[in-house]
Amino acid sequence: MSDATARGIPPTAVSTTSTLENKTGSWKYIRPVYRDRVAPCNAACPVGIDIEGYMQLLQRGRLKEARALLMRENPMPAVTGRVCHHPCETACSRRHFDDAVSVHAVERVLGDVELDTPPAPAAPRTQTETVAVVGSGPAGLACAYHLGRLGYAVTVYEEALEAGGMLRLGIPEYRLPRHVLDKQIERIEAQGVAIRCGTAVGVDLEWDDLGADAVFIASGAHRSRAAGMENEHAPGVRSGLEFLKEVNAGARPSLGTRVVVVGGGNTAMDCARTALRLGAEVLVLYRRGRAEMPAIPSEIEEAEREGVTFEFLAAPVGARTVHGHLAGLECQRMVLGPPDESGRRRPVPADESPFFVVADTVLTAIGEDADLAFLRADVTLDNGGIAVGELGQASGTAVFAGGDAANQPRTVADALGSGKRAAIGIDRLLRRRRGDAVDVPVEELRFGPDGNVSVTRWRDDDPVRRESPANEVVDRADINLNHFGHAARHPDGFTVDRESLEHFREVNRGLETAEALDEAGRCFNCAVCNECELCLIFCPDVAIARRPDGGFTIDLDYCKGCGVCAAECPRGAIVMTKEGL
Amino acid sequence: MRKVIMGNHAVSWGAKLARVEVISAYPITPQTQIVEELSEMCASGDLPARFIKVESEHSAMAACIGAAAAGTRAFTATSSQGLALMHELLHWAAGGRHPIVMADINRAMGPGWNIWTDQNDTLSQRDTGWIQLYCETNQEVLDTTIQAFKLAETVDLPVMIILDAFYLSHTSEPVDIPAQDVVDAFLPKREAPVRLDPDDPHAFGGLVRPDAYMEMRWHQQEAMARARTAFDEIELEWRALVGRDYGAVERYRVDGADLVLVTSGTITSTARAVVDGCRDRGEAVGLVKVKMFRPFPTDRIRAAVRGVPRIAVLDRNISPGHGGIFAEEIRSALYDVPLDDRPEVFGFVVGLGGRDVTPAVVEDVIARARAAERPEREDLWVGVRP
Repeated sequence: MSDATARGIPPTAVSTTSTLENKTGSWKYIRPVYRDRVAPCNAACPVGIDIEGYMQLLQRGRLKEARALLMRENPMPAVTGRVCHHPCETACSRRHFDDAVSVHAVERVLGDVELDTPPAPAAPRTQTETVAVVGSGPAGLACAYHLGRLGYAVTVYEEALEAGGMLRLGIPEYRLPRHVLDKQIERIEAQGVAIRCGTAVGVDLEWDDLGADAVFIASGAHRSRAAGMENEHAPGVRSGLEFLKEVNAGARPSLGTRVVVVGGGNTAMDCARTALRLGAEVLVLYRRGRAEMPAIPSEIEEAEREGVTFEFLAAPVGARTVHGHLAGLECQRMVLGPPDESGRRRPVPADESPFFVVADTVLTAIGEDADLAFLRADVTLDNGGIAVGELGQASGTAVFAGGDAANQPRTVADALGSGKRAAIGIDRLLRRRRGDAVDVPVEELRFGPDGNVSVTRWRDDDPVRRESPANEVVDRADINLNHFGHAARHPDGFTVDRESLEHFREVNRGLETAEALDEAGRCFNCAVCNECELCLIFCPDVAIARRPDGGFTIDLDYCKGCGVCAAECPRGAIVMTKEGL
Repeated sequence: MRKVIMGNHAVSWGAKLARVEVISAYPITPQTQIVEELSEMCASGDLPARFIKVESEHSAMAACIGAAAAGTRAFTATSSQGLALMHELLHWAAGGRHPIVMADINRAMGPGWNIWTDQNDTLSQRDTGWIQLYCETNQEVLDTTIQAFKLAETVDLPVMIILDAFYLSHTSEPVDIPAQDVVDAFLPKREAPVRLDPDDPHAFGGLVRPDAYMEMRWHQQEAMARARTAFDEIELEWRALVGRDYGAVERYRVDGADLVLVTSGTITSTARAVVDGCRDRGEAVGLVKVKMFRPFPTDRIRAAVRGVPRIAVLDRNISPGHGGIFAEEIRSALYDVPLDDRPEVFGFVVGLGGRDVTPAVVEDVIARARAAERPEREDLWVGVRP
């Protein structure tokens, strides 16, 4: 070798001059740009949580910052980690690879850790205005929490003797232990939020006496709908929601041996599983099929696992009594007809004679309405709920609304999201009154075109670095699955035994912290650079380099626009743009 | 440490002891176990090497070339069609003077689709510029694998170590595995004369005009020539460390023989036994094993058979339209030997596609070589049904 080199011919065909002289960048007509976009989970979250953001922090072992990022948008992760219907997991890109990331379980672990650490100090009262919130359910508490953190003095008025709204009144303890709820509410109060229980606005306290600069109405939907059957007021036939409120308040009513629950939503599932815990045999009667049930699928599965039986395509005709006592329900077999306005197939009576089911108690759970008689007249209703604008405005004045009282989907997550929207709406209104020019378009606050708003974006103080961000949801085709390895999802840990059934103990044990961190590791970080360095490895021109502050630089003198980095990026965080644009 | 291991794993152990730094391979029977074992060594952390999964043998060799250009010790393994798919990059590896080591399990080319042994896959790559070393036993496989890295890095040429499908790849034998410190003393970390370096970028493999191309090929030829002596020196050093060597060409009971068999690969072991039987019966038959095929050990071959009246070359390969490839190369090597010292060369084509070459086949070869008045114009195919 050395003799060859000595004679002036290199040992191999290697250029004598540096290739830096050949500026291959002059060839390109498209160039790569690092562009953090929006992950599908963030866009799907009705609360508006930067899920991808906290997953990435967890992957880097920055647990505290992950919790802080989560708490920016969601005041009660220990609650939502347990009871949310987690549409984020339905949207999760990983679902098309093996199984969705167990976002709810990660959130629950973060929330539980949060409950055991001292609360963050309350934000200083920097604003002079005060806000009144009517109702202490998830919507009201969320609105109060966010306004408190924005520097407002907020008072929440609650008709019941304890705060929590439907979280306390409607959701059974085996799904949401009261000590979790209590601690979560205490921490919201620690943010400087005052809660006045046993105060019904319009009854105990006149609207004019609220003395607030803005009002948020989140009074919920508490009036059970009538089942519309014969003899509905017979003894032994009662409202499922009233039954749940009674049990959740500590009572243990006697139901007899055989309980029939009428309905297919979450209230019906809660009634069925609660009745089971009171020792009854439970049958759920639902007029459509299993696929049409509006309840969260996991709630249906758990009810089934615990021993609840189902009678699908069956509607109650009327309650039948013997000697003044309930004997059971006469039922009509149904078949599914064409879809109705909700998109589900409408049940119509089948050409069959009625049949009879024995029941000592019938619990009706076919939906709730908002009772809005206490309201002032200057709000408009839509479909039984208060009509609201995109930031919760219920009228041209300083009245805002959200949660189940407003016309929106009735879930805990949607309630939390509506509270946040209204908090931003109220802040915007009050600041405009002060003469601030606040003209950020609401679209820029949303995660993608249809997601909920981000209070972090509203405050414009995102702790996460974003590379030339764009508010568009990444397309599934932009996720390069070739770079991911399969990893099984950690299933939630369930305990179903006689003892836990008798004692209303929490059935879902969730995940251990290590398992939750594992789940976070399964996150693809869709649409957001996590510095995996594949771009750097694949760049055939070695034109990509690490930046000292994180992220990468592209040496445009040598990037020839081949697009390999964008194609290989596992998460769609690099886009190719036309030169000169 | 002595272990009973199959030939495939003897390769893996050799590569591990050589502290290979980059492995890139694509699976193919009967080679797969080599890289399977290496991938497990990498996964367990026993071997701190980068294992690059690829989508084809072409890419496997490309990755090895890149790794070698960057100055690391690179290894791959393949067989048959996989080797054929690498063809273009075999030239690139050799022309670029990248000291890659590759194990090839000799497997017949399809069609007819066949996973058993013959030498046509490696012999088809004769002119790509790779050193080729054929092995007889699992011990030789392990030793040669380690030696191959040293040889490759001494002359900056890639080395192919070659072993028979199943007879070696999947057959277990006791193998002495040298201690790591012994191998470390023998084979230090690679020092590349020219290195691909992103901080001082140069173009590799660019256009070379006629005024320099021929010189580059001449340097390659000189390196091949040096490989002959370098291999001898490496074997001496290895022998001093572990007490074993093999020789580019081995003479076995040749003295006084009136007929010498010439073999390569595992047929050698069978022929050894047959030669021993002949000698026991007082028949003067000897054996020459050819281990090194490129560079061709012309002088060694001449010396090994000088004065022997007849040699019979057993070829487990065929150059269609010509003859057995070892026989042709040996005829060529002997052509300049004065007529009095030049043996008559009888060529026999045997054992294609993994057909067994039994002692009876070897005895048939001996009988036919003895009975003929002079060599046939074409090599004889043994055991072929009409």
